[in-house]
Amino acid sequence: MTRISGRILTWTFLLITAALLLLPIALAMLGSFKTNQELNAGSALLPKVWQLENYLYTWKEAKFSVYVWNSVIYSVGATITTVTVCSLAAYAVARRSFPGRKLLLGVYSAMMFIHMGVLTLKPAYQIMVTLGLHKSVLGLIIMMTGAGGTTFFILYAFIRSISKELDEAAMIDGASSFYIFSRIILPLCAPALGVVGLFAFRGAWNNYILPLVFTMSQPELQPITVGLANIRYGFGGAVQSHLMLTGACISMLPMLLMYILANKSFVQMNVGAIKG
Amino acid sequence: MIQKWKNHAEAYLFVTPSVILTVTLGIYPILWALRYMFYDYKGYGEAKFAGLYNIKRLFRDDYLWDAIWNTFVFASGKMILTLPVALLLAVLLNGKLRGRNLLRGIYFMPTIFSTAVMAVVFYLIFNSYNGLLNQILNMIGLPAVEWLNMQNAMLTCIIIAAWGGIGNYMLLFLAGLQGIPKDVYESAELDGATGARRFWSITIPMLGPVLNIIMMLAIMSALESYEAIMVLTGGGPSGATEVMHLYLYKLLFPVSTGETMAQDIGYGSAVAMLLALIVGVITGLYLYLSRKLNDIYS
Amino acid sequence: MKKGLKRSLTLLAAVTLAFGIAGCAGGSNSGNTSTGNETGANNAAETKGNGEKTKLVYWTYQRHDAEYIKAKIDEFNSTNQDNIEVEMTMMAENYPQSLDLAFASDQAPDVFAAQRPNEFYAKGYFEPLNDYMTDDLKAKFEGFILEGGNQFDGNIISLPNVGNTIRLVYNVDMFEKAGLQPPKSLDEMVAAAKKITEIGKADGIYGWSLPYKSPSSALGRSAEKIAEMNGFHRSGFDFKTAKYDFTGWKPIIEAFRQMSADGSVLPGSEALDMDPMRAQFAEGKIGMYISYSTEPGVYNTQFPAKIRWDATLVPTIDGGEPQGAVDPAAITWLSMSSESKNKEAAWKFMTYMYQDEVLRGYHEAGLGISVLPHVLEGAKEPSVPGIKSFLPTKYDAAWPIAPSGVTPEGKTWHEEFVKYILVGGDLDQVISDLNASYNAALDKAVADGKVKVTADPSFDPKALQK
Repeated sequence: MTRISGRILTWTFLLITAALLLLPIALAMLGSFKTNQELNAGSALLPKVWQLENYLYTWKEAKFSVYVWNSVIYSVGATITTVTVCSLAAYAVARRSFPGRKLLLGVYSAMMFIHMGVLTLKPAYQIMVTLGLHKSVLGLIIMMTGAGGTTFFILYAFIRSISKELDEAAMIDGASSFYIFSRIILPLCAPALGVVGLFAFRGAWNNYILPLVFTMSQPELQPITVGLANIRYGFGGAVQSHLMLTGACISMLPMLLMYILANKSFVQMNVGAIKG
Repeated sequence: MIQKWKNHAEAYLFVTPSVILTVTLGIYPILWALRYMFYDYKGYGEAKFAGLYNIKRLFRDDYLWDAIWNTFVFASGKMILTLPVALLLAVLLNGKLRGRNLLRGIYFMPTIFSTAVMAVVFYLIFNSYNGLLNQILNMIGLPAVEWLNMQNAMLTCIIIAAWGGIGNYMLLFLAGLQGIPKDVYESAELDGATGARRFWSITIPMLGPVLNIIMMLAIMSALESYEAIMVLTGGGPSGATEVMHLYLYKLLFPVSTGETMAQDIGYGSAVAMLLALIVGVITGLYLYLSRKLNDIYS
Repeated sequence: MKKGLKRSLTLLAAVTLAFGIAGCAGGSNSGNTSTGNETGANNAAETKGNGEKTKLVYWTYQRHDAEYIKAKIDEFNSTNQDNIEVEMTMMAENYPQSLDLAFASDQAPDVFAAQRPNEFYAKGYFEPLNDYMTDDLKAKFEGFILEGGNQFDGNIISLPNVGNTIRLVYNVDMFEKAGLQPPKSLDEMVAAAKKITEIGKADGIYGWSLPYKSPSSALGRSAEKIAEMNGFHRSGFDFKTAKYDFTGWKPIIEAFRQMSADGSVLPGSEALDMDPMRAQFAEGKIGMYISYSTEPGVYNTQFPAKIRWDATLVPTIDGGEPQGAVDPAAITWLSMSSESKNKEAAWKFMTYMYQDEVLRGYHEAGLGISVLPHVLEGAKEPSVPGIKSFLPTKYDAAWPIAPSGVTPEGKTWHEEFVKYILVGGDLDQVISDLNASYNAALDKAVADGKVKVTADPSFDPKALQK
């Protein structure tokens, strides 16, 4: 009896939470089919007439096809660099002892605590100008990779939780560090990599200020967030909320895809593997 | 000896890319701010050495301290609302449950949207005059609530932040839960431990280090977030939702086209330093306490 | 499974690499274009007919006129004899920041819509136009060059085009229903708001609203202009004493506060942006508000009004003859970048944009109210319905240039006043604090040599009227 009531309770909680979390998204989707006036005046839930042309306009006239493409490049690029750079460092710091290790660990933890907020953007931009990277895709990807304290620590904690036996055995067998890293550590880290990668992807995907600064003079390189702000003020001077919602809905799709990909990887990951 | 240095060299090779990024994008900006906090620099013209002027100004800037107080309210509210729900969801979804992948997907959905965009939608829900929520309240015979006035705006911002945060932390908790071997639960189940008991005596202690990291992340991100607030209320009405990083943003990137807000890099640097210090002290304190607690329990 | 992950990662890596290379190639391409520009500049004259185009980049933050400007630029691109091609970029938010970053990184546009003139002049962004301007042009704009406005140290940095007049916009249906005339005094305004709320509240109609979410946007379009109408400059600066003095604003802010206290303000106004507010007005839910001459365009295209509306002069404190004039602030429009590599071409484009026909068309399209006599001469009345009430009167006239860049520590007067309007408090105290903080900031700016002020005891705001 308690079992059944417990189950009912569980499902009530799960479903109510799901409904509350989905409601705003549903509203965004419905809103994306409304006219601007309908939306701003706050009318009924459903659009009076389903404005399919919102999507057509956003995709073609507002050049969302280009923005989506750019966003994909930046996000995939930043995800790969973040995961690569941080996992390399996390592995070395977690598994190797070398002079300066303690210092490095100290610096990384300091980096995790000390955030200068938007201030970082100004000096970092100067550096990129000095390096001549402020106009390139690469510069943007590097900026989005950032100093990455948190990612490092998630991976660091994860690698530390993996038993040392496996890689020590491999070391004794004469395997190279890179072999151990890529063939033993990385696969075991897969759940963490999935999470970190997903977060890095999302961070890059939703980043606004940074790409705004870096792609100002090159509209053809702008990602979707900047594009969204662009259509906010269309012709006529009024905020085009309806088109923003349309853009937001379009921008959601690749992220959803990415989530399904990543989710698969760490749901199916057999936890037993971690124990070796 | 040679082998040892070869190993060291390898390790250095592994950390080099990360070190370069950390120095250029992490350390250099701090030094930059450390320098400019002693200068009178408005973003153009000459930076003039100003001694302790900016630092003294920190202490008489009531708006800054109001914003810092608001940040604490916002951060605690967000965490109280977000973390328990996220943990509960993660635990439920970690068990055998029909449709758990679908549910995970649903809970994660909100985090996909850029907060700035979603704030537009939340405005449609919460606005006092004809927002959806008030329409619903009216329908079931309850009085309308002014969600965005001075008294309630902060609560509304917290609700929205929780909306965007739950999926995130659920995912982090899930990742941590996956690290707990299934057989521990199985043996506990054989011993007849109830769900609640299993939660307190296995899940929480076994989550230990991961939980610590997640908590720390939650504290920091709650203290540092401002985007959604910026779009929804802009810190208003009349400063009621002004959080500290929004204040910093306004100092460094005054967006209004007039001269109503002045860019001030020098003072902004000092504010950034203070905020970093505040966040650092709080997270440090948390780490210290949690370590103490761990020592007591283990 | 491990294999699956690895495979997908490898795939991702491969895809990115491919994109990355493509992207970099794109980047270096655009680098080439800009070098092409440099050679183009050196031989601007010779390249004529060579097939090599001189490309100019034009940045603007103005969006309401984009369609008109775009059409004019297309016309220029297809008709000019010098093979110049202008590309317009509409910047979203953060326009001044975008310019800062562009100038910091060698990406500055050739021609751009001027903003924050004295700050950008200090930063050296403007190419002085004095030497480019023909005598004919100089004569046309003679009365409109203002030191500290569009001229600094004798360097002309931009020329005016249009300004924005300010009116009280009201819902004719509701005013008729309430048996009211548009308010002439602050008291009448407060009373009208109250009356309309009384009869309209059941239908969700309120007498007054402003987008208080952004204090500078809300008061910048309303209280500031009422102040000017009553002889106080919009910045709070008093030309007679060369000091800041908000004392005269007291009745204006009191009136705004009274409407809030009476409950005559649309609920939720403290969190409103301008556009949702306009949408409510178009739906007939707001009795009146005060705004710029851009309103007719908005109700014409974006939010078709479902009610009859009209506009009238903003009220005076006592309902009597205005003691000042509202500044349409027509000071700057286009500027040339000091870092442009094609200055001759940029000037040709600017000359084209500043010719009478283009400016007249701008005015006639109702995109702004022209202040230039040579443009207004022979101009048709603007075509947008409702613009008529926004056409300049003798009370729409320019003020001298007040010091700019004077910002106090702590909050601006916009924010302090909105706080008082929303929650009440001690207005006398607020005003004396503001006077103190603004004058302290002014003294500091003067001491630093950033601002120069001289008192003019004979200054008479009433004499500004045309």
